[in-house]
Amino acid sequence: MVTIDLAKLPVRKANELIREHGDAGEDVQIINPDARHHIGVGLTSPIDVRIRGSAGYFCAGLTDQARFEVDNNVGWGLGDNMYAGSVVVAGNAGAIAGVAIRGAELVIRGNMGSRAGQVMKAGTLCCAGNANFMAGYMMYGGRIIILGDSGERVGEDMTGGEIFVGGRVQDLGSDAQLTDIDRAEVNGIMAFLDQYKVPFRGSFQKIVNAGKKLRYETSEQQMRSIPFFTFSGDSEYWNPKIQEDIHIKSQIGRYRIRGYGGARILPHLSDLAFKKDLSLVEIGDEIISQVQLHTEIGGIHGALPLKLSMPVMIAPMSYGALSRSTKQAIGMASSLSGIAENTGEGGMSDAQRNAADQLIFQCLGGRLGWNIHDMKRADGLEIYISQGAKPGLGGQLMAKKVTQELASIRGIPAGIDLRSPSRHPDILGADDLVIKIEEFREATGYRLPISVKLGAGRVRDDIKIAVKDGFDFIELDGMQGSTGAGSAEVIDYVGIPTLAAIIEAEEALAEIGRREDIQIVLMGGLRDGVDAVKGLCLGADAVAFGTSVIIAGGCIACMQCHVGQCVTGIATQDPEHEKRYQPSVEAQNIHRFLEAVRWQIAAITAGLGHLDTRQLSRDDLVAITQEAAAITGLPYVPEYRHRDSERFAEVG
Amino acid sequence: MGVYDINRIQLPILPPDFRDDTKDVHFVPAPCQVACPVGTDAPSYIGYIWEGKFEEAFDAITATNPFSSICGRCCDAPCEPACRRVDSDGPVQIRNLKRFVMDKLGRSFRLPPYPVTRKETIGIVGGGPAGLTAAHDLCAAGYRVDVYEMTDRLGGMMIWGIPAFRLPPGIIEEDIDRLVHRCAGMQIHLNSALGSDITLEELKNRHDAVLLAIGSWWGKPMNIPGEVDPRVVDGVSFLRRVNAGERPELPDTVVVVGGGDVAMDACRAAKRLSGCHNVKVIYRRGPDEIPARRIELEGAIEEDITFIYHTQQVAVESRGERLALCCVKTEPGEPDDGGRRRPVEVPGSEHQIECGMVIAAVGQKAACDELDKQGLMEPDRVRTEFEGMRTSDPKVFAAGDGAFGGSTIVVAMHHGQRAAYYVKSFLEGQEKPLPYRTPYRTRRVPVAQDIHWEKLAPHHPEFFGLGENPVEFPEIEATYDWETARNEAARCYRCDAETGSADYSVQHREDLFSMARTSPNDYAKHRAMLQARLQLREDPFPNERSATLDDLVFLPANLSRLVIDPYREACAINTDIAGRLQLDQPFFVTGFDDAPDQVREAVAAGLTAAKCGYFGVRPWNTSATWLQLLTPEASAPSRDAAAQIYCLGNEFQAVELRRLHDQQVLGLTVSSLDLLEETIPYALDRQYDMLLLDGTGKLGQGWPELAGVPDLGILRDAVAILRRLRREEEIALVYFGGVRSGTDTAKIIGLGAVAVVLGVNAGLAVGGQITGDSLTFSSDFGDEQRSDAVCRIIKANSGEASMMARCTGKTKLHNIEPEDLRSLTLATAASTGIPLAGTRGV
Repeated sequence: MVTIDLAKLPVRKANELIREHGDAGEDVQIINPDARHHIGVGLTSPIDVRIRGSAGYFCAGLTDQARFEVDNNVGWGLGDNMYAGSVVVAGNAGAIAGVAIRGAELVIRGNMGSRAGQVMKAGTLCCAGNANFMAGYMMYGGRIIILGDSGERVGEDMTGGEIFVGGRVQDLGSDAQLTDIDRAEVNGIMAFLDQYKVPFRGSFQKIVNAGKKLRYETSEQQMRSIPFFTFSGDSEYWNPKIQEDIHIKSQIGRYRIRGYGGARILPHLSDLAFKKDLSLVEIGDEIISQVQLHTEIGGIHGALPLKLSMPVMIAPMSYGALSRSTKQAIGMASSLSGIAENTGEGGMSDAQRNAADQLIFQCLGGRLGWNIHDMKRADGLEIYISQGAKPGLGGQLMAKKVTQELASIRGIPAGIDLRSPSRHPDILGADDLVIKIEEFREATGYRLPISVKLGAGRVRDDIKIAVKDGFDFIELDGMQGSTGAGSAEVIDYVGIPTLAAIIEAEEALAEIGRREDIQIVLMGGLRDGVDAVKGLCLGADAVAFGTSVIIAGGCIACMQCHVGQCVTGIATQDPEHEKRYQPSVEAQNIHRFLEAVRWQIAAITAGLGHLDTRQLSRDDLVAITQEAAAITGLPYVPEYRHRDSERFAEVG
Repeated sequence: MGVYDINRIQLPILPPDFRDDTKDVHFVPAPCQVACPVGTDAPSYIGYIWEGKFEEAFDAITATNPFSSICGRCCDAPCEPACRRVDSDGPVQIRNLKRFVMDKLGRSFRLPPYPVTRKETIGIVGGGPAGLTAAHDLCAAGYRVDVYEMTDRLGGMMIWGIPAFRLPPGIIEEDIDRLVHRCAGMQIHLNSALGSDITLEELKNRHDAVLLAIGSWWGKPMNIPGEVDPRVVDGVSFLRRVNAGERPELPDTVVVVGGGDVAMDACRAAKRLSGCHNVKVIYRRGPDEIPARRIELEGAIEEDITFIYHTQQVAVESRGERLALCCVKTEPGEPDDGGRRRPVEVPGSEHQIECGMVIAAVGQKAACDELDKQGLMEPDRVRTEFEGMRTSDPKVFAAGDGAFGGSTIVVAMHHGQRAAYYVKSFLEGQEKPLPYRTPYRTRRVPVAQDIHWEKLAPHHPEFFGLGENPVEFPEIEATYDWETARNEAARCYRCDAETGSADYSVQHREDLFSMARTSPNDYAKHRAMLQARLQLREDPFPNERSATLDDLVFLPANLSRLVIDPYREACAINTDIAGRLQLDQPFFVTGFDDAPDQVREAVAAGLTAAKCGYFGVRPWNTSATWLQLLTPEASAPSRDAAAQIYCLGNEFQAVELRRLHDQQVLGLTVSSLDLLEETIPYALDRQYDMLLLDGTGKLGQGWPELAGVPDLGILRDAVAILRRLRREEEIALVYFGGVRSGTDTAKIIGLGAVAVVLGVNAGLAVGGQITGDSLTFSSDFGDEQRSDAVCRIIKANSGEASMMARCTGKTKLHNIEPEDLRSLTLATAASTGIPLAGTRGV
């Protein structure tokens, strides 16, 4: 056994050593742990780790196979996301012990804090003492054994799994119920207790999901969406779209759900024009080779950056919302065009990993599909706070799409109307976030860029927190972003337009003099090279495309993604529908689209008189609507609108 | 024009007089329409079929196609391979849908005749699809047209080339009769061959212009030894005999040489004739290269015709009774100029195919001694310049197969249309007319609302094959019934139309599709796409746009505000009015005072169940909470009412209200901004509980919300006055006017109201129909359905309002503040005092 003294080494160095010893198969003991955070994080070897004292946050977090023993207490997030392996804590554990575990066995001989086992998927969390409130909050599977009292609201909004309480069940959480327990289950628990030498002589009560909130009660009548563009035109206040909404809501008694982006026109990058008249500029065939497009994202704090052949990435979209074939095609196209792809919520499949040369792995509050092994094979890690289409809400995946296969990659029961938690169990505020980022860095040896995905709201405030918390870059998503399913009203009425978002971000960072400390990837309704260059002019370091990539790959924008039987095989998990999508054909289409974007970015950049996209600036733009002028502070020159169309007419 | 052609991006200017919709920003000609040489507005007719509007569908079909009935059966349908649904589960069966409409209406439905309005006349030689389409278009333009046809009937290759099993007798007559009826200025001269019956010179003297549409009447020889044997015939001649009604006895085995449409018709006709049991088709390339239309190839295979690929004929040898077609095998060689790989002979692969007859379908040619004499002919066609459809004689134009080689009916029609355009330009004395361009129209038909549209598989009509008595050439396939047609129509993606996405409009989607289908090296097209894309959109928020709730958005909780879990955490929406009236949700309803009693009763039952109060002059007869609106002329205050609210209208007056029981709420309704300064201090002094702010100005008169956008200024000013007086908490502001959803409610509450009054929202929920400035109630709704609808719309509004609150991080709806909102337009910012998104102030 090797001894590591935390009085002499920082945790970062200690974790490197633990992993090295793990690779060599040597057991480790940690002395003077002094309740430091992140001890053992990222370890994936089957060794014993003995912690001689107390550990801080995320002890044994993001690990697999190792067996931890802690002589005293642990802070919150014990065994975060742990796969196989075990942790035995002699003392007490803080809040969210066993958060998001996926198979580990955790034994706490003392008491445990609130929300223990939140969003856990599999494994056993055992507490010999009492639990605090909301044990088993939103758990999807696995087993919680509480030998003492349950705490309040036990099993709150649990989806799957079982909670066994040996003491008093104080009160049941929402959608939880008591049920009968059978002999075999008791025997299983007793065997587990014997194994970890936990004495117990009482009996158990069993708590499971009551099944009242897993599916929407009434299903919404499916319709193809009615296009309507003159919202609130004076005479059309009660337009057909509004009438349809009211009719349907008066049948289902709840908000409507649909897929895609906004149905209403918003102030947009389209309301800006390039100052120079590009129709007069000669654009040579070899324009791409004459403009510097290469962009690195994520390296400003020392991580290995994403190397983009142009300032463009793929926006995060999940396998779940999209079919496996679609994710595969997008990954292939991203590699062909030398840019980065993003897993979105719901995990990384081998197909995705193999298809994409550079892949960002996204972590959401439900920790669906999140795990140490995929973190290690990712090229960037991203903490999702919210998305432009439905900021403030978690992901939504209707039961039709929650297939067995998909459920297993996410670690959840199949066939539920999945409404992902919108809040991270371990990020309640900016301070927690700093520690979470650090955990990810520890787990991956400070090698990967860590980004934040943020739906645009109070960007001015939010981005200051993002920069102070030390993110390498932010994926800033305006309200024009699309989604696979969301409340129609939230899609259209929550968040601010992408145009306003980038302005607020730039102003806020300038205000605190920290613009150089974070990179911004702008997204949400950006469609092509024209929008991309406008975004870059306004200050973005890169842009990301989601919907336009899908459209390039065959999407017809019917806005029925939530239904799950996508006619083109894109937004579906139904094999009969997925068959319609040919990944290799669509990968080529998406690749050509990206190359057309490249051509446009190069042509416009050169047309504006620059040799490098980093030279693009606000001075290259004017506003052609009063709103855009007010939002951006750019000169208001509505005459530009007619300049281009007249010229175009002459050309025609 | 190719579907993703540069011309699609830089659409050439349309000559004047054409009707076209490509300037409509909400329309893009769909791939099927672009692929159709005559620009048929397929998406519209498909949409009409789904709606059951067959006459409208007929009109859309026939607008650019005088041979719609024929095309419904045997168009080669280039639209179908262009259909975007090809890539998923198969194209929409556009041709079959056309046939469905034509079968329903084609025989009887007539469109009004074109009057003759011009003095010039045109002589057209040839009554096939090119000549007759040109005749149609010229008649439509008001000219007199004389058609000279050498055979005894009109139709050209449509009659002589297509066998009856594909195009039954009667169908051609159907189109021709309709055409003749429509083209009042058309004279038809049958049995009038150019040369023998009339000379070109005579035509030129008789008419102001001449159009040659002589067709491609003769089969090309194979140019191999032995083909002079009488048992070797050419495909077009063979078909001509058969289509004239002959049913020759054939030998047991027939070999057809070639892989085009003529070969298909010839092999299938042969198979049906008596004596013939085996038909073999030889083709020099492989099955992927064969030019025959897929459906005909498949039909031939189903009819048990053998296809022998990679085989090239080299000689015909007579073996007494029988023939031997000497062949070699081929393999793909170097690509030719068109990129197709040239078949090359495989050495040592010589072999023979025994048969009794060879039908050579290796190409067609035009021939005309008269034109030859005039020097107007190439060896196999009339020398014609495609740009202006002109021959070397300035007064003589040419079109169709006779000018450009064998093609399809629909291409011939396109030639006819082009030629008509150039003839007309010539007659009008235009030296340099704009180049012809197919116009693209749309009828703006709504998308089919079939919930199964994503799942419905393509439906092929029943295929009969040879039939019981093949030699009679019975028709090979059935037509759709109405249900099948409707299902097929529902499958259409509607690539032409908006789907409801604001940023991914139909035009933007088409741009993205084009980008995805353009080679990185196609610089010219990239330039064109960029220039098109640089056009700027119209101002979506022009000055005349009113301030509206739609232009307010919520700021979500993210990092700087604590996020709550919107799907799970509770959000309180209960509402308290001055401690006297407790509501489960922030809603009242109004508007049903004059509704039919049955509706009122059902609504009252719903309101009772939903525990929702009603503002009205009339009391309910049930236990539903009633907030009494008092007007100068109305009845006395009622003890039964939960509230007495006096409607001030547009003029302030001191109103003494007396509480008739402890819990009774007292208040005033204000319908004008101008009254606020006086009314608010007065109401506060009288210790009234509620101000009902009427954004419509006409509360109590029917359904005033239907008049349009309500005034949000009244709420803004009321809040400002109360704030100035520092007495915001002392009176409850309730807002009425244009609240359509829970989202609108949350916004109004964010602006300072505690509750809203629903009018039209509830009216529509219970089945009200907007008729002018009122709602009418049909009897389609049952009582229970109505009361349920009241409960559900209130529940939905409640859920939606609380969802908005949750998104902003609130656990109580009434904690939404102006600070949680942003405006999207300057008008709305001014009207509400809410800053424009991205800015710090109004």
